[in-house]
Amino acid sequence: MNHIVVLNLWQFGIVYLLLLIVLAIMKHCKINQSKLLVVGSFRMSVQLVLAGLILTYIFKNPHPLFVLLYLSAMIALSIHTALARNKGINRRFQRIVACALTLSGLFVILFFVTGVVGVSFWNPQYTIPISGMIMGNAMTGVSLGLKTFHENITIQKTQIDTLLYMGAAPKNILLPFVNKAVETALLPTLNSLLGMGIISLPGMMTGQILSGTLPTTAIMYQIAIMIAITAVVCLAVFCSLFFGYRTLYNKQNQIKFT
Amino acid sequence: MDLFSLNDVQIQGIASYKQIVIEEGRTTFICGKSGCGKSTLLKLLNASISPDRGEINYRGKPIANYNTVLLRRDVILLSQNVFLFDNTIRNNFVQFYGYREQTPPTDEKIAEFLQLCSISLSLDTNCQELSGGERQRVFVAICLSFLPKVLMLDEPTSALDDSTSEALIFNLKGYCVKNKITLIAVTHDKLLAQRYADTIINME
Repeated sequence: MNHIVVLNLWQFGIVYLLLLIVLAIMKHCKINQSKLLVVGSFRMSVQLVLAGLILTYIFKNPHPLFVLLYLSAMIALSIHTALARNKGINRRFQRIVACALTLSGLFVILFFVTGVVGVSFWNPQYTIPISGMIMGNAMTGVSLGLKTFHENITIQKTQIDTLLYMGAAPKNILLPFVNKAVETALLPTLNSLLGMGIISLPGMMTGQILSGTLPTTAIMYQIAIMIAITAVVCLAVFCSLFFGYRTLYNKQNQIKFT
Repeated sequence: MDLFSLNDVQIQGIASYKQIVIEEGRTTFICGKSGCGKSTLLKLLNASISPDRGEINYRGKPIANYNTVLLRRDVILLSQNVFLFDNTIRNNFVQFYGYREQTPPTDEKIAEFLQLCSISLSLDTNCQELSGGERQRVFVAICLSFLPKVLMLDEPTSALDDSTSEALIFNLKGYCVKNKITLIAVTHDKLLAQRYADTIINME
């Protein structure tokens, strides 16, 4: 197998030309988001350059502390993003979401790195990129789950009040909303499994193949990560909502929507 | 003994109630302008909200000491906003009973309660096809079939014409008296209140 072609800066710069096409189309369709495109591409570039530099340093000087720091930053950012997209939830609910994301994330990462791949958890070359994929997907899932749950209970306020006034327990009233939100959050991941390998050659697999890994090894990694992602999304969303919905009612069984 | 007694109850600037007593087995109508805290009073009585100050007693004991879910099964509140599942009348009974962890009544029983509320439709009628007034009465029928000790109705006739209102309240009162159910209703319809109430509470 050949090793990957190392990009020199000039070659690399050419790719930005594709953005001009995007800009032209946006201008033609009067999409007023050219600023977002520029800022987005700029931030993406800077953040990835930084990540590249940091990872280069960490790989050259592997130390458990670096892995720990990188992982903490990733988890913190995923919690922050998931919560920032869902403003209307109360403090205790937020704390439960943070715990759910952290614990389910760590559990699946640990399982994958030490159990499936069988390398040390402190090996940055495995733990960091895999954590990125796991946490990123967990974050998207939890965001979607929270959003669905919160929107649905707000829309169905009359139903919830009606049931409460006639003596239904808050648990019986709210659990169906939890179940529905877990399903909604899980569906995109489940659907992505269907197209895998046919419509899409996913990023990790593509990356490994480009860098010279045998496709047979690459697909095993890809299958493993897809299952890990499904598990983490399911676990994180379920824990967030199943323990979180209890914060919506008090000892008097009165439901507060925020 | 009084069924409910409220003493100097206040709720954060929304409403305050100096002294209110509601007796068991009687029909009490609560009248007053909109926004004077009639609906809030009903919610306080089945502990769906808590007061910021003051004491509410149910059968001589502070309402806060009760298991509020069980209390609400005895003291049912039908709010102004009627909610029914998008399903047949029969399935609505089944679903509401499921939420209260009870076995639903038989078709004959359901029909009996519907009849009581002047509804003569097939149990397979989809509730989405019903008019506002029909929905309101189906909902009253469901709540009545739970045989609560206290039935609280918030503007039960808001979507009904005069003659249907009369018929509904007439039947409801008859049923409640016969089955020793305390009826509490909020209404702005003074005539209806004068005709059917044993006690009228006028709120400023």
